[in-house]
Amino acid sequence: MIGAFEQALLAAMIFVIMLGMGASLTPRDFYLALRRPYGLAVGVISQYGFMPLIGFLMTLALGLPAPIALGLLIVSCMPGGTTSNIFTYFSKGNLALSVLMTVTSTVFGVLLIPLVLLVYASALDLEIPRENIVATLVILLIPVGIGMGLRRLNANAGAVTEFFGSVLALVFIAFIAISWVPRNWQFLLSTTPSTYFAAIMLGVFGITVGYLFARALKLHPRNVRTVALETGIQNAPLAIAIIALTFSGEEQQSIMAVGALYSLFIVLTSTAVTLIFRRANTAAEQTIPDGLL
Amino acid sequence: MTADDRPWAAYYEPEMRTDIDAPSYRNIGALVRSVANTYASAPAFTTCMPNGMNGTLTFQQVDEMSDAFAVYLREVAGLTKGDRVALQMPNGLAFPVAAFGVLKAGCVLVNVNPLYTADEMARQFLDCEPHALVIADMFAEKIPAATRGHPIPNIIVTRVAEFLPSLPREIIGLVQKYWDRSVKPIEVPHIRFPDALAAGRTHQAQDHIEVDAYHQDIAPDDLACLQYTGGTTGVAKGAMLTHKNLIMNMEQSLEMIPAIKRGTEVALTALPMYHIFAFTVNFLAFFWVGGRNILIPSPRPLTNLKRAFENYKITWMSGVNTLFNGLNNELWFRDSPPRHLKLASAGGMALQADVARRWEAVTGKTVLQGYGLTETSPVLSFNPMGKTRDGSIGVPVPSTLLRCVDETGQPVPQGTRGEIAAKGPQVMAGYWKKPEETAAVMRDGWFLTGDIGVMDPDGYFTIVDRKKDMVVVSGFNVYPNEVEDCLASHPGIFESAVIGVPDAATGEAVKAFIVLSDKSLTAADIRAHCKEHLTAYKVPKQIEFRSELPKSNVGKILRKDLRAEELRSLAAE
Repeated sequence: MIGAFEQALLAAMIFVIMLGMGASLTPRDFYLALRRPYGLAVGVISQYGFMPLIGFLMTLALGLPAPIALGLLIVSCMPGGTTSNIFTYFSKGNLALSVLMTVTSTVFGVLLIPLVLLVYASALDLEIPRENIVATLVILLIPVGIGMGLRRLNANAGAVTEFFGSVLALVFIAFIAISWVPRNWQFLLSTTPSTYFAAIMLGVFGITVGYLFARALKLHPRNVRTVALETGIQNAPLAIAIIALTFSGEEQQSIMAVGALYSLFIVLTSTAVTLIFRRANTAAEQTIPDGLL
Repeated sequence: MTADDRPWAAYYEPEMRTDIDAPSYRNIGALVRSVANTYASAPAFTTCMPNGMNGTLTFQQVDEMSDAFAVYLREVAGLTKGDRVALQMPNGLAFPVAAFGVLKAGCVLVNVNPLYTADEMARQFLDCEPHALVIADMFAEKIPAATRGHPIPNIIVTRVAEFLPSLPREIIGLVQKYWDRSVKPIEVPHIRFPDALAAGRTHQAQDHIEVDAYHQDIAPDDLACLQYTGGTTGVAKGAMLTHKNLIMNMEQSLEMIPAIKRGTEVALTALPMYHIFAFTVNFLAFFWVGGRNILIPSPRPLTNLKRAFENYKITWMSGVNTLFNGLNNELWFRDSPPRHLKLASAGGMALQADVARRWEAVTGKTVLQGYGLTETSPVLSFNPMGKTRDGSIGVPVPSTLLRCVDETGQPVPQGTRGEIAAKGPQVMAGYWKKPEETAAVMRDGWFLTGDIGVMDPDGYFTIVDRKKDMVVVSGFNVYPNEVEDCLASHPGIFESAVIGVPDAATGEAVKAFIVLSDKSLTAADIRAHCKEHLTAYKVPKQIEFRSELPKSNVGKILRKDLRAEELRSLAAE
């Protein structure tokens, strides 16, 4: 599905993008996100509480074949992905909170993924590649740290890095969305509607539930939007890596189906949601009356 | 001046000068030269864009570049002493270079609001007849319409990102051109600002020109600025401010604030420098004390200020009520109030007591309210540090007398309402080419402000009303005549009257009472018509349709009756 070269290219792109994202942040942003830790707690709860439940309920409701159902469950148990940070950035959410949520859910994932799978898939013996988890953290935190450092060193270097990072992020989103379809054409044709439904709706339900939950807890609207994206956007590449390590042959292909489809549709869903969130953000902006200012 | 004249003298700090005999410099050119020699390579001005991209000029650079511009104006453009040069740009690094260049050349600086419509520009240009215009590219498309029939011989075009390092400058340029589409091709003959400086430098080197020679023959009483303020007759009038006016007003203002430490302050300049408040208090005064001005090209939305607050250790800021109120309401600002801030100063419009209190709660620092007018360069009074009073405009600055007078110009007893009259070295020389208008506001050496105030027993002043029909919308003066003229130009409007009404957001708002001849006309149609000809802040916020308007027996529309009616209905609510 994705070759080694493409994988390396994507990783490099994400690195540069996160460099840019980091350049938009200051240590104080992280301090503030940590000072109000409910956002983080809410994130972990919706990530490992709601998402797997949504996945599990969909397997029941849709009557999916066993391998597809298993694939769906695995994706729903994943931590937040790096792309959530990119979409949070574009939707003018709380990027520091998003980064911290991704880090927390990834770190907690080592413990929580097996636990959640134990609940929903009765102790499915999955091999969780620690190196992938470490890689996720590295590819996230190192560029963010460098980006922050750049900005501190020179505000122009930071702002220019942020600019190019965000332009590359748009290219990245477009690249995933456009290149995915021809690469998986055969696969798209052979996939059943219920699999499509599961792959699309996991993201949609995840974002919705995350949004409602955070709003019910009266988080600031910016943080509500952040939790929503963070909850709905899963680290699908990690799911695919886990499946690739654990299963083989035809079975592997079937189990991977949801993860692969999800990778495409979450980009489309998140893009739409980001546009809505941006509009909400602009609408919530203070209107400064015309006058001397 | 004796203590009897000045019951407020007790509130002056013991170490401050209560009278300033003469300006420290003959003119602003000499001031710039001397200050630049003192602070040399320290940063003087920094433009901070909303995304954090920035550029900085040191004192020396501003001095050298404004020299080059002065030479360009005199030697290349052929201007002479006293010629007007209009400046129309948002805050940015081009502003100090252009403004100081104009003043060094002995020319007269005319600040123009960049948001003005072509009609408004045309009226101002017609009145001051500029020989040159320095304008930001995003506003240049208005030039043909604004100069039809009376062309300006020299057009110099600058940009928001002028003098930023090349990479950010080009990025901002591309974004403006292709993303915002705010910069359109410029149709009139023009020269780019950096090219003008280069031409000036070439002449300077070839002909061994000493810029000091230009400003050596500028006397303190020579004109420095024509600062436009709108006019009671609907025609803009330019307050003639001399070099002495401006220098004295800086000295007077600085005297009131001993907390300012030379060479260490970082001032946030979010208010536009084309307005007299930021022009004198931020641009000129902070330059003088060796401070660093952080220039914000556009403070809307307020998140545009976030990077400036994050990236610079702001110690001072000036603002209007709207700015302080807006920042109080921003979560990011409440979360991270500026830690290095010492004080903030408010002017332009009344500072609401509640806004001031919340500001203090958020930042832990006071807002000092001052008072002044375009005609007074602008500062007349200020709340002394540590002795601020809610709702008061404070006490007169040094060398300034304020008193409340009756209709005949006689002082009224302390505690009684009267029109505030002012005397001091900051009072303008008069209105440009308008002797009657000047005579109407100058009486026996006192300038009549048009504001009704009260002096309390120890010399603090409070504004309670306004005599003129003028409306102050968030720091900008709006003259009802100008708005009524615009309304009258609509064929569907029979007649109209414009007044100011109290407004929570802007202090006062423009309200129009309209009698229609075309009954199908809606308020939205009327606003759209006004927007074509007037800057946004002048467009009536409230429109009320009437079948007739109150008139005197000679047929003059009575705005005061409408105002009284309006206040009664507000009081009844």
